[in-house]
Amino acid sequence: MKARTLNLRLLAGAALACLISGSAYADGGPAADKPATVKSADVTTERLLNANKEMADGNWITHHGNLWGQRYSPLAQINKDTVKGLHVAWTMQLGGLEGGGIWSHGGLEGTPLAENGYLYVTDGWGSVYKIDARGGKGTLIWKMDPKTDHDWAGAVACCGVDNRGAALYKNLVISHTLDGRLIATDKETGQVKWQRAVANPDKGEVVTGAPLIVKNMAITGVAGAEYGIRGWIAATDLDTQKEVWRTYTIPTKGEAGIESWKGANSAEVAGGGSTWVTGSYDAANNTIVWGVGNPGPDWDNAFRPGDNLYTDSSLAVDADTGKIKWHFQHTPNDPYDYDSVGENVLVDVGDKKLALHANRNGFGYAVDRTDGKFEWATAFVKKVTWTKGINPKTGKPEEYDAGKDVQTYLAAATPTRDKALADFCPGNMGGKNWPPTSYNPELKLWYIPVIESCNRVTIAPEKALPAKSREFFTGGGPSQPFRITGSVTAIDVTTGKVAGKFETKFPNLGGTLATKDLVFSGEPSGEVFALDGKTLEKLWGFNTGGGVSAPPMTFQVDGKQYVAILVGLGGAWDKWFIDSTPELKTMQPGSMLYVFGL
Amino acid sequence: MMFRVNLAATLVMALGFLGSAQAEESEAQLGRATYARANCVGCHKWHGNGGGGYGGAALSLRKTQLDREQIVKTVTCGRPGTGMPSFLRGVYDDDAKEHPCYDFSQKDLTGDNHVAEAGTFLRPNEIEAVADYVLKNIMGHGDPNLAECVAFFGDTSRVCEIYKPKTSHQMPTPSTQN
Repeated sequence: MKARTLNLRLLAGAALACLISGSAYADGGPAADKPATVKSADVTTERLLNANKEMADGNWITHHGNLWGQRYSPLAQINKDTVKGLHVAWTMQLGGLEGGGIWSHGGLEGTPLAENGYLYVTDGWGSVYKIDARGGKGTLIWKMDPKTDHDWAGAVACCGVDNRGAALYKNLVISHTLDGRLIATDKETGQVKWQRAVANPDKGEVVTGAPLIVKNMAITGVAGAEYGIRGWIAATDLDTQKEVWRTYTIPTKGEAGIESWKGANSAEVAGGGSTWVTGSYDAANNTIVWGVGNPGPDWDNAFRPGDNLYTDSSLAVDADTGKIKWHFQHTPNDPYDYDSVGENVLVDVGDKKLALHANRNGFGYAVDRTDGKFEWATAFVKKVTWTKGINPKTGKPEEYDAGKDVQTYLAAATPTRDKALADFCPGNMGGKNWPPTSYNPELKLWYIPVIESCNRVTIAPEKALPAKSREFFTGGGPSQPFRITGSVTAIDVTTGKVAGKFETKFPNLGGTLATKDLVFSGEPSGEVFALDGKTLEKLWGFNTGGGVSAPPMTFQVDGKQYVAILVGLGGAWDKWFIDSTPELKTMQPGSMLYVFGL
Repeated sequence: MMFRVNLAATLVMALGFLGSAQAEESEAQLGRATYARANCVGCHKWHGNGGGGYGGAALSLRKTQLDREQIVKTVTCGRPGTGMPSFLRGVYDDDAKEHPCYDFSQKDLTGDNHVAEAGTFLRPNEIEAVADYVLKNIMGHGDPNLAECVAFFGDTSRVCEIYKPKTSHQMPTPSTQN
């Protein structure tokens, strides 16, 4: 009886969905040869906590694949023996190319989600597309355009018109917009159920990251440390649309950490500490681990004496209250813009419960994710000039001096008020920027998308706290007199040592995906490629003709595995860093979803 | 007869006046549009005040002392050793007959004389239009204000609201295609 009710419900859902798509394609249209639309089950906390099983079933229901941030799929039809036969199965042209503010065009940095044969992708301005991927081709079911205010947000987006993806909760698609909204869209109809302003571009705040769903909450991070914001992580109750907590990454008077801001300048006004990359969740400890960005102003570290907590740190907070449990800071009193905003990947190695983080400063770190205790750090870039290394006991740079208010690290490579110009490696983009790493739990290998770089920074001392919001507050600026390349670098997390490096002509601006025996990634010159997961030997490649600045993911539908990736150069590279990769000047803006199959 | 001549003359004058007003307007539009499209806004900001940022530290066009010829030259050639790129295609070509920019060709642009190439090249008339736009709308102006902001962005965005007294706002209404 129960089964019959369920079937009837499914039939009714399918019929309703047919009616909906029928209204759009009354003449037969592109969906005519597709099977009837099916209603997907609600995405529950239980399903999110079991995202590995979902991935084995062909889904990808949360931004990083699972809540531990691993981006590892056990799907294995596409493997090192078959990958040579991988080819374009279908593509879909998306929108969001228009410019706004200081940006001439939007770009794609998102990770598609997949559930029951449907994909959910976003473009740079936050439009959400539901695409039917069944039957070996893609059909647009609906597109929700949030009508983002382009100039308002685009004028204070330091680093591009970007949106890194959506989230699924119950029967809703949860997404962000650059102008700071959190939006809930009905998964079946594409109609917006509600929206809530979480961030405020009037203060220089924008939102580019995908939401992380924890229990009944959407966790939002913010960007804007280049515009003098005070960073935060916020939790919104998705059932009541009320804010549950908001934890500032820059302490205020009376809070722990305020002693690390020693000067007369109020950290609260412009301390930075953005949080624009989606974090991870450890259910066993009910802890969210999230990366925190650079201090403000970016380069003039004499403006902000002290260690500047919790900037440049991995931050662990209680999921129910947002209360800070621990932190681990990578570059105290940062003079380089080496933020720690990148994801933390939670892994178990033997009896160690680790959080891995690949930092812009060129080092990959492992800390105990239950208390933040340092385990090891390894340089994953070819060239580091700002420090001799990370102290194996303390986890701090060797030159870090707790007695000094303003750190200079290796002085020859550090811009200061006295020596305003300095060249350092890695450059301020990293190292490793937002593009996500991936982790193969069987091989215990961690694959880092690397920007092998140096650049030059000139300090322009800030004289006072910003009088107005929405103005750059950086204390100087970078230039690019050096050629920048890239790599995919693997670290063996059982030893903490580099296990291999696949070098690329251009910086890796998209991130990696790990499967059983492969690593997938792309280049801003258009190449999408697959490497042998153990040897990093290149096994397959295809040039999409558009810049890749988004991570690949994989899913399965109709019993067949696919790899999907968004193509269309987004981010800051073509505006601020192009001189280091002159050949990329010919790359045209684009907005396309590529899906590969065997 | 006299009447006809006068009428004709008045018409010609009126059309001429309208024509020149239109020409001025479209020149200003070209200057503003080029200023935005060529990414001058990226470093100098919409209001021209410049300052630090990811593009480097840009000079204030509000406070600049440069004359029209110097602005045209700076946009055309860029400024060696700074983040200011050259906006005219081929001005440093090694095999060009003349080297109009500081007598430099590509091989001279090393080290401290490095000049970046702009992401968007401009035509000479666009460079002149930008120079005229800077002279007329930016140079010598005081702090940016609401009217200037609206003239740049139009009034369909909230971008200029920090120049207004505080007001409350509606969020945009999303729309769905299916």
